[in-house]
Amino acid sequence: MTKPSLGTPIAATAIALALATPGFAASPEEVLDTYSDIAAANYEDSLTTAKQLQEAVNALVSAPSAENLTAARAAWLAARVPYQQTEVFRFGNAIVDDWEGKVNAWPLDEGLIDYVDASYGGPSDENAFAALNVIANPTFTLSGQEVDATTITPALLEDTLQEADGVEANVATGYHAIEFLLWGQDLNGHGSGAGDRPWTDYAMGEDCTNGNCDRRGQYLTAATDLLITDLEYMAGAWAEGGEARTAVMADADAGIASILTGMGSLSYGETAGERMRLGVMLNDPEEEHSCFADNTHNDHYYNGVGIQNVYLGEYIRVDGTLVSGPSLSDLVAETDAALDAEMQAKLGDAVMALSRIKHAAEAGFAYDQMLERGNAAGEALIMGGVNGLIDQTRSIERVIAALGADGISIEGSDSLDNPDAVFQ
Amino acid sequence: MRRTILAAALGVVPVTGMAAPSVTDIVNAHILPRFEALKEASVTLSDAAKADCDPTAEPLRGAYYTAFDAWITASHLRFGPTEVDDRGFALAFWPDSRGTTPRSLANLIAEEDPIASSPDAYADVSIAARGFYALEFLLYDDALMQAGDAAYRCTLVQTVSADIAATTAAIYDDWQTVYADVMQSPGPDAPYRSEEEVLQEMLRALSTGLQFTEESRLGRPLGTFDRPRPSRAEARRSGRSARHVMLSLSSLQDLASRLAADDADLSQSLNAEFDTALEKLDALEDPVFQGVAEPMSRLKVEVIQQAVGTIRETVRADLGPKLGVAAGFNALDGD
Repeated sequence: MTKPSLGTPIAATAIALALATPGFAASPEEVLDTYSDIAAANYEDSLTTAKQLQEAVNALVSAPSAENLTAARAAWLAARVPYQQTEVFRFGNAIVDDWEGKVNAWPLDEGLIDYVDASYGGPSDENAFAALNVIANPTFTLSGQEVDATTITPALLEDTLQEADGVEANVATGYHAIEFLLWGQDLNGHGSGAGDRPWTDYAMGEDCTNGNCDRRGQYLTAATDLLITDLEYMAGAWAEGGEARTAVMADADAGIASILTGMGSLSYGETAGERMRLGVMLNDPEEEHSCFADNTHNDHYYNGVGIQNVYLGEYIRVDGTLVSGPSLSDLVAETDAALDAEMQAKLGDAVMALSRIKHAAEAGFAYDQMLERGNAAGEALIMGGVNGLIDQTRSIERVIAALGADGISIEGSDSLDNPDAVFQ
Repeated sequence: MRRTILAAALGVVPVTGMAAPSVTDIVNAHILPRFEALKEASVTLSDAAKADCDPTAEPLRGAYYTAFDAWITASHLRFGPTEVDDRGFALAFWPDSRGTTPRSLANLIAEEDPIASSPDAYADVSIAARGFYALEFLLYDDALMQAGDAAYRCTLVQTVSADIAATTAAIYDDWQTVYADVMQSPGPDAPYRSEEEVLQEMLRALSTGLQFTEESRLGRPLGTFDRPRPSRAEARRSGRSARHVMLSLSSLQDLASRLAADDADLSQSLNAEFDTALEKLDALEDPVFQGVAEPMSRLKVEVIQQAVGTIRETVRADLGPKLGVAAGFNALDGD
């Protein structure tokens, strides 16, 4: 039955003992060290691969060619591999959550940025600037203010255009804005194929297609530069002495709660719900997370891997080296070995289900085809991933209860007993 | 480990002197009647659409009104039978920040998509074109009420209504035959391993329902002070925005008082907080929250939102610990 007599003091004592008794293989502090080390390595890898993207973008803008556009797209795809694994650090760490909209905001009304197909429509009830097209318009009025955009700078994107008019779909910065500038709209509907922006959208002089190629290059360069700046900040925040690491280490119990909040929120509300299930239920190819590049299968897969990383305390860097140490898994195993086995199995199952989507997509069954009305195989694939993520969330809740990190005993931790508090 | 011993002991030894909330009571008196009423009202709706599909027909609009009421009253119970086959989403896709519902309906009408001729087949259609919010556009939106071919529109109204009736009947059927038992028989190999997990589900329903009312039903039209968004009010075309806040709070109050039943002090303070929010809402007299754009009337909506926030805080800080569970993760986590 319920245990009302188990008031705060007893529970707090119990968990304090559970976590502090000497002689265990893993202390909460050591687990948090590993967690922070993985975060630091993962954001550093995101930065390294973004710098390679920057080089490729600079080559494209200074010497536009089909080859250079292809190289830039390849660099963007590679950069997503480490970044998507970092998303597990987002929920539960306010420093990351406050920042992530700058680099990974989605979905976007891309007409804010550049030309779009007629089928896109114009300004909508929700967003008066859905078709602003900054690249074609050096000056415009935004919420009554005259904006000078004759030079497209990181500051213009960050301070003026991002979330313009308070509308979240006005995404001017980050991976998905860059994705749109490299691929363009995917006009294939539920058919296979990604966006097909011609390299001549960056060509100089008479070769320029769709107008304003110089401004398009300016925008792409500014957005990529800004991505580097933003990733530098977050890699620093997790380095020794950085603010994110310091925050998570400040209180061991709250730190463990942060890890679990990140795992649960990314699994359930964000990936399973917002990004995957909704797309299936709406049959809408625009609900793809990477709808321009058709890279959605990888987005979801690496989210799943990232969740597994922080539980197992293991991360494979982009140079192939392993970062590892005492893990949350070790900590759970000391309290309840069967629960640890359950949690590991669920994480493995979810990654397997997500990898099936990836395998099919890489073999030619595109994610937008899977979303089509009446496509039973596609729906089954995606719902397999959704169910795996939902299922593992229930086990994460059991881990929370077993560690006593349930809001009764973790004093001052908003993150688990009030999961939304960290998003305020 | 002491924690393990303590937990094990608690698992088998009832804590004397403390009554617990009754899962049976909540299932029989809170959950089942709501889904039964929803099913019955949806049958009436479907029958009314068959008899007269004119969007302005009073019997149809009246039946829609009653059935939508029944859904809002049950809408916090998003687990088990409501989540199978996306039923909850198929009844209620809102908020719709990208305008998918009117776009999907307009496409169906423009193409005269034959899928609308069969309620069974219609279950494959995008959730944006199904359920109560889609039907609201067909019955109350000036453009969609007269778009395309009248006969096709009529079929669409009848099919969407029949689809709602089928979905709500399936939910009630599953509750009666399977899930009422599931909730009352937790065990090591059952979906709920312990009564704590059952109570956690109920606490999650309560806290998620409150969060949705605070952040979406009230928060979306409020927007920010500089940029209020009255056009984002829920079901504003049928004039139901404030009514939904009232219906959801009343229903959540019933659940909260059952969960807090054995703690007189907590029960009393929760009831008082719900009453406060409902009284302030009653005094507002602004059915679709159009006042959010004016500072004085806006303040009144903000005060209601704060009152809902106060209830959420009591549920989190007092009711959860009393039940020995946390609300856990919910679908609103994330962006």
